[in-house]
Amino acid sequence: MSTVQAVDKNSTYKVKRPEAGSNWFLPGIFLGLTLTGTKMLRNLFDYVKSMGGAKRELMPTVNYPEEKYEYSPRFKGNHVLTVKKDGALRCTACMLCATNCPADCISIVASEHEDPTVEKFPISYEIDILRCVFCGFCEEACPVDAIRMGPEWQTPGINGSEFQYDLKQLAYRPALKGGIVSVVDEEERHKAGI
Amino acid sequence: MHSSTTNVPMVKIQVNGQEVEVKEGSTIIEAFYQNKIDIAHYCWHPGLSVAGVCRLCMVEIEGNPRLQIACNTTVTPGMRVSNVSEKVKDAVKWGLDFHLINHPLDCPICDQAGECGLQDQYMKYGRNDSKMGEAKVKKHKVVDLGPRVVLDSERCILCSRCVRFCDEVPKTSELGIFNRGDRAEVGTFDGKPLTNKYSTNVVDICPVGALTSRDFRFRQRVWFLKDKETICTGCSTGCNVKAYYNKEGVFRVKPVYNAAVNGHWMCDDGRDIYKFVNRENRLIDAKLVSGGKTEHMQPMELAKRLGATLKGQGASVALVLTGSHSVEEYEAIVSYFKNDVGTTQIYHWINNPDTIDSFDGILIRGDKNPNTKGLIEVLAKNGVSTQWKSLTDSIGTGAVKTVVVAGPENQALFPDMKVKISELSKAAKLVWMTAGKNSELESLTGDVALLPLKTYVEKPGTFVNHAGLRQKTQPVTSIVPGALSLVEAVQLFRGEELVAKPVQEGEKPNEIGKGRVHNEFTLTRGVW
Repeated sequence: MSTVQAVDKNSTYKVKRPEAGSNWFLPGIFLGLTLTGTKMLRNLFDYVKSMGGAKRELMPTVNYPEEKYEYSPRFKGNHVLTVKKDGALRCTACMLCATNCPADCISIVASEHEDPTVEKFPISYEIDILRCVFCGFCEEACPVDAIRMGPEWQTPGINGSEFQYDLKQLAYRPALKGGIVSVVDEEERHKAGI
Repeated sequence: MHSSTTNVPMVKIQVNGQEVEVKEGSTIIEAFYQNKIDIAHYCWHPGLSVAGVCRLCMVEIEGNPRLQIACNTTVTPGMRVSNVSEKVKDAVKWGLDFHLINHPLDCPICDQAGECGLQDQYMKYGRNDSKMGEAKVKKHKVVDLGPRVVLDSERCILCSRCVRFCDEVPKTSELGIFNRGDRAEVGTFDGKPLTNKYSTNVVDICPVGALTSRDFRFRQRVWFLKDKETICTGCSTGCNVKAYYNKEGVFRVKPVYNAAVNGHWMCDDGRDIYKFVNRENRLIDAKLVSGGKTEHMQPMELAKRLGATLKGQGASVALVLTGSHSVEEYEAIVSYFKNDVGTTQIYHWINNPDTIDSFDGILIRGDKNPNTKGLIEVLAKNGVSTQWKSLTDSIGTGAVKTVVVAGPENQALFPDMKVKISELSKAAKLVWMTAGKNSELESLTGDVALLPLKTYVEKPGTFVNHAGLRQKTQPVTSIVPGALSLVEAVQLFRGEELVAKPVQEGEKPNEIGKGRVHNEFTLTRGVW
C-alpha cells in the first residue's frame, strides 16, 4: 500500500509508508488459503479421476519421469542429421551451419569422398549440446536439409563426453529408427539438370 | 605496376568522371587496376597476356556507339570511360548470365567459395534465377590434373588464365582447352600430368573453383582463416607471401605481388613450407639430458640454466648456425658468443653446397635458406672466418667440448641432418636449438639440451635475399607458446628477463592472437 511521491525533481524520493494498525491483513490471508485449498482439492480428485481414464486436460501436471510429455514434431529440440535414400549422410560438409552458429558449438571435419558426384562429406560432425542455444540457425543455414531440430528434448548425461554428440548419435541414434530421409535428393536434382 | 618510369610518356584519361594518369600504351583495365577502381573481370590478369574472352570488363567510351572490353582497348589522351552506366551494368549482368548457364553453382561444397570472382559478381549483379530452360551440360568432375591440382570442368568458365599461365610463365604448356562450344573443357594433352614447379599458381589465378589445390582441398573454409603477409623461407629468393592461419595453425600460403622479388608468382615447394611450422611438427618441450637423467622444463628455464653454464667458457664452445634465421637473431647470438662466452668458433652449416648457386630462371634457387647472405654479412662484420672441417677436427681432439647448434628451422631442406647429428653428438656436450621435432635428436643420450625455437611466422626479423634485398617481416601468429626466438634466447642466456615492449604512441599494437571476430556473419545478418 505504499505510495511513491516525487517531492522535487532534483531531490530524493520520499516513500510514504502505511502506519501500523491502519489495515487488516487477516481477510487477505483467508482469501489466499481458500484459493490454495480449492486447487489442492481439485487436483487431488482430478488425479484420482485421471487414474480411472478421465480427461487429461483437467490436470496439467505430469508425473515425470514415469510419464513423459510429447512435444509436437515441430518442436526445436535435439539435432538430427538426415540421410539419403541409401542411408548415407546427407550432409555435404559445407560448414554453413558452423559458420552461422552463434554458440560456436558445431565442429566439422570434411574429407574427399571416393564418389566424384558426392565429392565432399563429413568424416566427423560434432555438436557440443551444452553450448548449443537451440536457436535453429544451423537448420536455417543448411542448403540441403541435412540438419534438422527434432522433438526430442531430454538431454541427460552423466559426464561431459555424453554431451558431445557425434555423427552416430546425430544421424543414427535408436530413436530415429535408421535415420530420417532428407527432402533434398541428389539424383532427382541431377535429373532436373541442376 | 605502380612505379612510373619517367621516360614513358603519361596519358590523362577520365574514368567514371575521375581524372587518372596512366602510361601511354596501357589498356583501359590497367587504368582501372592501377587506380583501384572496381571493374568486373575474369580472364584478364596483370601478370598474363590479354585474351579478351570473358566479356565482363565492358566499358562505355564516350563517342563510341558500342561497349568495348577494357582489357584489350588502349588508352588515348582525353578518353572518357565509364563502367557505372546502366548500359554497362546491363551488359555485365547478361554476360554473367551466360557464364552461369552451365555453372553448377555448388558454392556450398566448392573450396573457392568466399574468395570466388563469380560468387562476388553473382551477389553484386546477378542474384537472379537462370533464364535457361535446358539442363546444364555435365562434364568431368574431380579430375587430377597433376599431383597438386584438381579440376572440376563444370565450374570452369573457360577464361583461359591457367592455359596462358602455363604457356607464359613456366613455358611448359601442359594445359589446353579441348572441344568446342558448351562442351569445351580445360585439360592436359593425352592426359599427361601437370607437373611443372609452378603449377599451384593456376589455382590462385582461377577466378572460380574449377582448379583447386590438392593440399588445401576441404581442409578449411576460407572465411575461417585470417591472413597476414610474410616472406617465404624456402629458398634465397624470399618470395612475398600471405600466410592463412587460424588458431589451429597455418593452412596455406599464397604469393603477394612484389615486382622486385617474385612478381605475381611463387613455386610449389614454397607452398609446402607452412607445414613445418604447425604444432604437430614442432619441438614443444625443452629437454635436458645429463648423466643419464632426463628433465623436461619450460624453455625459458632451460635457457637461463644454459646461460649459466656457457658464460666465459672460451674456445671450448663452438656455435653452429644455419641460414634460416633473421639478421637480428644472428647479431644477437654472434655478439653473445664473442663477448660473453669468449669464442669465435662460429661455423656456418651449408646444407646444399653443390647446388647453392643454381637458379631455374624463374624463381627457384638452389640455396635453400632465406638468409645465407645475412649470415655471411654478420659473420664477416664480427671477423669470424671458419671452415667446417676444423670443427669436426677439434671435436675429435677434444678441443671443443660444447657444441651449440641454432637451427635448422625447416629440417626437410637439410638433407644432411642425420649426418650432422651423428657428427656433432660426438662432442662432450650438445645444445641444440631448433623449431622442428626430430626423433634422432630426441633419442640422443649423453649430455644433450634441446631448446624449442620460434619459426619465421612467430617472430619479427629481417631477411637478406640472394640479391641483397633486405625484407622485414612481422609475426603472423603464435603456434608454440613457450618457444623462443634466438634474440629472446640470448637475453635469457645473459640472465635478463623477457619483458614485453610497451606499445609506443602512434605504434600499431601487435595483432597476434587476434582471430576472426566470431560470428561476424551472424552479427551482420540481414545487412547487405
